[in-house]
Amino acid sequence: MALRKNRGGKSSVDVPMSAMIDVVFLLLIYFIVTYKEEIPEAHLAINLPQPQDRPSDPETPPQLLEIEIRPTQYLLRNMPMSLDRVESVLTSMAARDPELTVIIKVDQRSKTKNLVGVLDICKNVNLTNLNVVTLQ
Amino acid sequence: MKRRHNDSVETPVASLIDVVFLLIIFFVVTASIETDVVDDTIKLAQAKNSEGVKDVPPNRLTINIREDGSMNIAKQKITKRKLESLLRSLHKNVGDNLTILMRCDGEVRYEHVSSVQEVITEAGYYKVNLVAVAGK
Repeated sequence: MALRKNRGGKSSVDVPMSAMIDVVFLLLIYFIVTYKEEIPEAHLAINLPQPQDRPSDPETPPQLLEIEIRPTQYLLRNMPMSLDRVESVLTSMAARDPELTVIIKVDQRSKTKNLVGVLDICKNVNLTNLNVVTLQ
Repeated sequence: MKRRHNDSVETPVASLIDVVFLLIIFFVVTASIETDVVDDTIKLAQAKNSEGVKDVPPNRLTINIREDGSMNIAKQKITKRKLESLLRSLHKNVGDNLTILMRCDGEVRYEHVSSVQEVITEAGYYKVNLVAVAGK
């Protein structure tokens, strides 16, 4: 900053405006370029089928619940139902047995978003033992 | 630039240095962002009940599966054979200390996802995470 003397003998401060504007514009461009909308991502954990020769678990067999995902419908214990109905059944079953093992059988022709929908419900009702197998 | 009485040219060094420093900062910051390459063409399925993850696992492998069933890692196309050899070497080096994230397009048919899951299980990993857009 340059100090300049006025005619009356008083000194005034000369602010370098052009440099400041340079910096401000560059910062502005930087933030515009680097701005990226953050999409929050959820991770839905699943277990994949393991080889048959693994030792099976103890005397008390786990409670199993089978859900089938077909291209156009969901089957819970072989009963066709809507996703909302699946949600209400899973909520009541999870309240009774939080350790419930869910086996999700997915038809090869169905879309992944259908599986994500079921996994999302399971996560929401705190069912964590989720096994996904493919229907041939 | 100012012209003086003796016709010498005064270069505005201060603002030039400002610009250079800002460019350096810009490249340093963007270089660190680029380490996490995200395939933007994938439209993830919605998980409306799930919360977004706050901390991403440090040891992770993200496999992207597009709507047409093609697969890539960090936007680099990869075949199933190459993926299997990569996973086998990772299993040899880091063991189970690896989180496998599958970023699948919501509209992709499950047959493409299951074929990738088969490759994953053949390499010795039995837990994967499906990535979805968090709703909460």
